Amino acid sequence: MAEKLYIDALREGLREEMQRDESVFLLGEDIGIYGGAFGVTRGLIDEFGEERVIDTPISEQAIVGMAVGAALSGMRPIAEIMFFDFLTLAMDQLINQGAKIRYMFGGKAKVPMVVRAPMGSGTGAAAQHSQSFPGVFAHFPGLKVVIPSTPYDVKGLIKAAIRDDNPVVFAEHKLLYRVKGEVPDEDYVLPLGKADVKRKGRDITIVAGSIMVIRALEAAKELEKEGIDVEVIDPRTLKPLDMRTIIDSVKKTGRVLIVEDDPMSFGWGAEVAAGIAGSEAFDYLDAPVKRLAGLDIPIPYNPNLERHAVPQVENIVEAVRELLR
Amino acid sequence: MAEIVRMPKLGLTMTEGTIVKWLKKEGEEVKQGEPLLEIQTDKVNLEEEAPASGILRKILAPEGSVVAVGQEIAIIGAETEPLPEIGKNTGVEVKQAGVEPERPAPAPPPSEKVKASPAAKRVAREYGIDLKSVTPTGPDGRVVERDVLEYIESRKVKATPVARKIAEEKGVDLSRIGKLEGERITKQDVLEALKLASVEPREEYRVIPWAGMRKIISDKMVKTKAQVPHFYLTLEVDMGKALELREKLAPKIQELNGVKLSINDILIKAAARALVEHPLVNSSAGEEGIVVKNRINIGLAVALDDGLIVPVIRDADKKGLVQISKETAELIKKAREGKLMPDDYLDGTFTISNLGMFDIEEFSAIINAPESAILAVGKIVKKPVVVEDEIVVRPMMKLTLSCDHRVIDGALGAKFLRRIKQLLEDPVEMLL
Repeated sequence: MAEKLYIDALREGLREEMQRDESVFLLGEDIGIYGGAFGVTRGLIDEFGEERVIDTPISEQAIVGMAVGAALSGMRPIAEIMFFDFLTLAMDQLINQGAKIRYMFGGKAKVPMVVRAPMGSGTGAAAQHSQSFPGVFAHFPGLKVVIPSTPYDVKGLIKAAIRDDNPVVFAEHKLLYRVKGEVPDEDYVLPLGKADVKRKGRDITIVAGSIMVIRALEAAKELEKEGIDVEVIDPRTLKPLDMRTIIDSVKKTGRVLIVEDDPMSFGWGAEVAAGIAGSEAFDYLDAPVKRLAGLDIPIPYNPNLERHAVPQVENIVEAVRELLR
Repeated sequence: MAEIVRMPKLGLTMTEGTIVKWLKKEGEEVKQGEPLLEIQTDKVNLEEEAPASGILRKILAPEGSVVAVGQEIAIIGAETEPLPEIGKNTGVEVKQAGVEPERPAPAPPPSEKVKASPAAKRVAREYGIDLKSVTPTGPDGRVVERDVLEYIESRKVKATPVARKIAEEKGVDLSRIGKLEGERITKQDVLEALKLASVEPREEYRVIPWAGMRKIISDKMVKTKAQVPHFYLTLEVDMGKALELREKLAPKIQELNGVKLSINDILIKAAARALVEHPLVNSSAGEEGIVVKNRINIGLAVALDDGLIVPVIRDADKKGLVQISKETAELIKKAREGKLMPDDYLDGTFTISNLGMFDIEEFSAIINAPESAILAVGKIVKKPVVVEDEIVVRPMMKLTLSCDHRVIDGALGAKFLRRIKQLLEDPVEMLL
């Protein structure tokens, strides 16, 4: 199997779906000749032309609104928002229009669209270009939310997102674009709503999403030296959320740490924690459910402070030690 | 090298056994493979063979004592060699026994809430442990699962379950009974302590401790009746043709295998046949769903002097009356003699309980969990019934089916029971 970068695997997924289905097209700011702010769509305009890789004006509301309209009329649009933060500009199109139309039309209209965007801190892009808040979208009925962590997952999940008949918010972490991993060349699709056990262990369960999966796995390696056997669960999609896999893991280990990139308050980690507490796994808990998440602050520009704003490997190691003390 | 004899595990569910009789005395010579003692489990009496040859140096568990599986019960060795220390590195007794019993000191006031993890609480609940007696080692003084498990382990080593039970009932403090290091407090020790402590006991009743088969039955029935939502269906069967069939077949079957064909055998056959046609009745309510059993193993409740046991006819649907009658006869004999092996009574999927021989005409039985239904069979009574507008005398028998409503609905139970009725009233079909 070939080792590929996350960004290349993602592009491969987009390309394969565009080849497979003529109704799939891309739209977004600078995604054509420039290839997108991070290079995800590089080269696609040469292959599919300006009609299927559309450079748009700087208006997130127009981009998402157009995607909703196109989806309603039988196309499968994939809208790129340059920074996840800018999705706030398209909230009405996404939440009040896209997410609800299928319901309001009694199922007679479908909205098969994907909104992709790079999120997260760690690139020195300051407060307005560094946020992670996929959990916000998981709150709204009608939207699916995907937070892929590996090159293998990102390809399989973008294909599933494109083929889904509902609007999907696809959150890519900027720091993951350069992560390498094995990706098969053949066509494969990963189901939305199925968590993945990224590492098996018996002492504690870490539920981590997106970039935090990578950090949790590093922490697990570190903790292994101390004889602590960590299980890492990657939910992969926040909505639908695969609580079953998480609950089964917690029943096995009796302890759980939830690690998210989003700010702590009202984040998806709370949803997971409540799901565990309300399930039969409660009776298997040997310690309170613990959460590690971003601080409740805007992401700082100063690189040292920026690093402290979200969980790092050493924070995860320390939190696990605390839980097992 | 001295050989330690331990309480064997004679069945999947066995956790303790009673020493019925030592067949050898201390100091007597034993040969490997020779019967050494008789053990009663919750179901059967069995002779246990000596695991090694030598002198029976010491009997550690007297007759009548109840001993946990794996616990030492005797030492066999050469005449002169020093005896091994019992209770050390055995995997069973972990904590030093005989010394001051460890109680977390000082005990917290009774009203104080104990901080414990949900997992610790669950284990404590399962084993009936008071969390206040457990020493916490978790963060912030929290009792965690490991603490409860260690406490259970430590408690295990000091007294036999019967001794503990009696001590609890009579309010005897086990820690006050002195015992040599490594030895368990037995029932005798507790009774002696009681004698010493109390004035002449003026007993107006006697207590048979919950133990052995009685305890299993008691626990199982309480659990079943509380957890399985039962409903009952009754109908009456004209047994005329079934009795005729028995009359006809009995001499031939007796000739073949020397066993008398009973009504129970015919019932087993009929039930097995009806179960083939209604597989959902041959199932159990599992954690994740209804577990439909592929094999039809019919249990037949057999009354014993001191309890009840249900030996199982395996694959009853695939066996003929000759085979069924032979197996039932053998199993009933073994059951009455207390010689059933776990293979004889495990894995039943449906049970029949017949109290006809005690003149009972009708009753409802408690389901033998995890099965989903049980058939209660009454006495065959000759009575007037109306057949085609004429009053005639027919041998009638009442059948009551208890069903687990989680699995079986009224209509299904009724169809199944009616099918048994049809088969009994026209038994030729059953033989096909």
